[in-house]
Amino acid sequence: MPSIELEDVYKIFGDEPEIALKLLKEGKGKDKIQAETGQVVGVRGISFTIEDNELFVIMGLSGSGKSTLLRCVNRLVEPTSGKIVLHADGTDYDVVNADSETLRQIRETQMSMVFQNFALFPHRTVIDNVAFGLEIQEVNKKERVRKAKELIEVVGLEGFGDSYPNQLSGGMQQRVGLARGLATGAEILLMDEPFSALDPLIKVQMQDELLDLMEEMQRTILFVTHDLDEALKLGDRITIMEAGKMVQLGNPEQIIVNPKTEYVADFVENADPSDVLRSETVATTSFEPDENNRVRLTESAEVELDSKGRPVQGYFSQTPIEIRSLDELSELNEDVILSTGPDTPISKIMRARLTYATTPVIIVRDGVMIGFVTERNILHGLLEKGREDL
Amino acid sequence: MKPRYRYTSLILVALILTVGFVLLCSQTGYGETLQDKLLGTGGGFIPIEGWITTAVDWMAINFRPLFDVVTIIVNVVNDTIITILRFGDWHYSGVFVFNIFGTVVQIPLLAGLVGLLMWYLSGSIVTGSAGLVMLWLAANFGYWPETIETFSLTLTSAFLALVLGIPTGIFAAINDTADTIIRPILDLMQTMPVFVYLIPAVLFFGIGPAPGAVATVIFAYPPAVRLTNLGIRGVPTELIEAGESFGCNNIQLLTKVQLPVARPNIMAGVNQTIMLALSMAVVAGLVGAGGLGGVVVRGIQRMRVGEGFVGGLVVVFVAMILDRATSNIGQSTTEEA
Repeated sequence: MPSIELEDVYKIFGDEPEIALKLLKEGKGKDKIQAETGQVVGVRGISFTIEDNELFVIMGLSGSGKSTLLRCVNRLVEPTSGKIVLHADGTDYDVVNADSETLRQIRETQMSMVFQNFALFPHRTVIDNVAFGLEIQEVNKKERVRKAKELIEVVGLEGFGDSYPNQLSGGMQQRVGLARGLATGAEILLMDEPFSALDPLIKVQMQDELLDLMEEMQRTILFVTHDLDEALKLGDRITIMEAGKMVQLGNPEQIIVNPKTEYVADFVENADPSDVLRSETVATTSFEPDENNRVRLTESAEVELDSKGRPVQGYFSQTPIEIRSLDELSELNEDVILSTGPDTPISKIMRARLTYATTPVIIVRDGVMIGFVTERNILHGLLEKGREDL
Repeated sequence: MKPRYRYTSLILVALILTVGFVLLCSQTGYGETLQDKLLGTGGGFIPIEGWITTAVDWMAINFRPLFDVVTIIVNVVNDTIITILRFGDWHYSGVFVFNIFGTVVQIPLLAGLVGLLMWYLSGSIVTGSAGLVMLWLAANFGYWPETIETFSLTLTSAFLALVLGIPTGIFAAINDTADTIIRPILDLMQTMPVFVYLIPAVLFFGIGPAPGAVATVIFAYPPAVRLTNLGIRGVPTELIEAGESFGCNNIQLLTKVQLPVARPNIMAGVNQTIMLALSMAVVAGLVGAGGLGGVVVRGIQRMRVGEGFVGGLVVVFVAMILDRATSNIGQSTTEEA
């Protein structure tokens, strides 16, 4: 189910946006328009659809218009033109044309926001900060406090309910910000570089916790960041923005493997692909079973397939060995052949290979073997980011 | 500045200068040179003094009901504060009417309470005791009634200045046009020498505490407006966005975000307003507002150096008590925040 749809959204800062809009559509560049008309192009022609429960990342450097685009979604910034449709509670809201009361209700009940510098209210305790959205919803005090305490626990801040924000560390403050965003029960969470102001270690910890939270709570998240590693780690899909324009949209692997422009390629140049590349992408997928229906994986390792291509038996130097799933390799003291699905990140295969087996890992989809991953495949994948052109 | 606005303002200035010059030339009388006019030796060519005198006279007659209402408001507030400060002395228009306790009880009672209040507000027993001692000294110098009058005139004016000033400040903060208009008016109120409007105040409000209070309100009102405006405008954009993103309407944004966040600034404005009100309440002694200002003025007029000096010293006491009591209100909120 789509949650938010953006169609051809433009934002131009200045008092004569129509002129700039016209010039843009004639194909003039951002800098030229700014020099000619004094109008600043923030966001131009953005269209995408965010699905329910998706974590959608908008990535770009500062000035690329990513925060502006995020603010267009709840109209903290008024879009100059375009369409934004919000699907929630079985209703379609036309966000751009909503009157102020409808907009207020959308913000109150459907969307909440987490800010880069936390934006906690300094005069309110942690509980009252978390309960802010509920206070606006006119939930009674008792219920408000109960709910706030519940969320304070969810984000791991038990016992800090009566503290003031300035008594907390940055990481703790952003937990409060997150709890405040979750408290209203809004389906959609807009996160504007929420972890950028945090120390690297705290940042990684918060990212993990956000992913855990996503498992438990059903939320759609629109996440803005300038950090590629963060985008690759968190995003179900990522869009990369440059100078207000969307240059690529895809899942993390697509971004790494097939950067569409020079800009994106430069971006992903130094990214660590091991968590992003899937086993299928790096696997050797062309293989021929021999007369015994066996596929040779290395000098000494083979795997026997049945008539439908399902792996049935492994061999190591002609000795039959077991085929076992990569996920079950807890107690392993004999040689086995490991199998895994097509979507396993190669970092997981690397870890398994490092500890246990010396044989290749076979890749199985719906029971059928589709390829196998050797050390060479992994190295190739890491160095060339899975690109085949070598 | 944008080119368009630059040209507009240039044209405007040119227009004003031209009109001014034409006026100047047309008014230059027989036997008078343009130079005489420009140097002011010819007596000025815009008869603004006459206009103002006429306007003041006209207002004194035609705005009488309005001024009477203001006088009543000032007297009610002032009488209430004096009644409270003197524990049951009942005053009307600043004149003593009735008392249930004796002065003997009042002095230690009020000094003690003020001491306790300052102790509570500042958290320092030294400050509290200093307040008590200062009031006790004021009483023993023989200026107890005057001290109370000055206290009440100051608090009355500060109260009215805040009641008018804080809403004006809020309005100026949320409306840029209002801000542009209000700013020069505040400059005028703060820099116009006070004696200039003390005299019309007497014309409008008669004698008693009212003209003094009105002049004091004019003088003490600007900082309340300015600091409220500054405080609200200084609220970080992200906090405003946070408020808006959770669905605040404008009123909720103001009461739940802007005002509380701006509170330290507004409290600094309260403190400033009270201090300026005190300084002006003393000057108002010139127009018979009584109190310690009256003592000082009498001392100067009759060349009684000692009397004037002691009156001044008690003013310092009152200033310190008011400042310590109110500056700590602002401070305690910043700590809490």
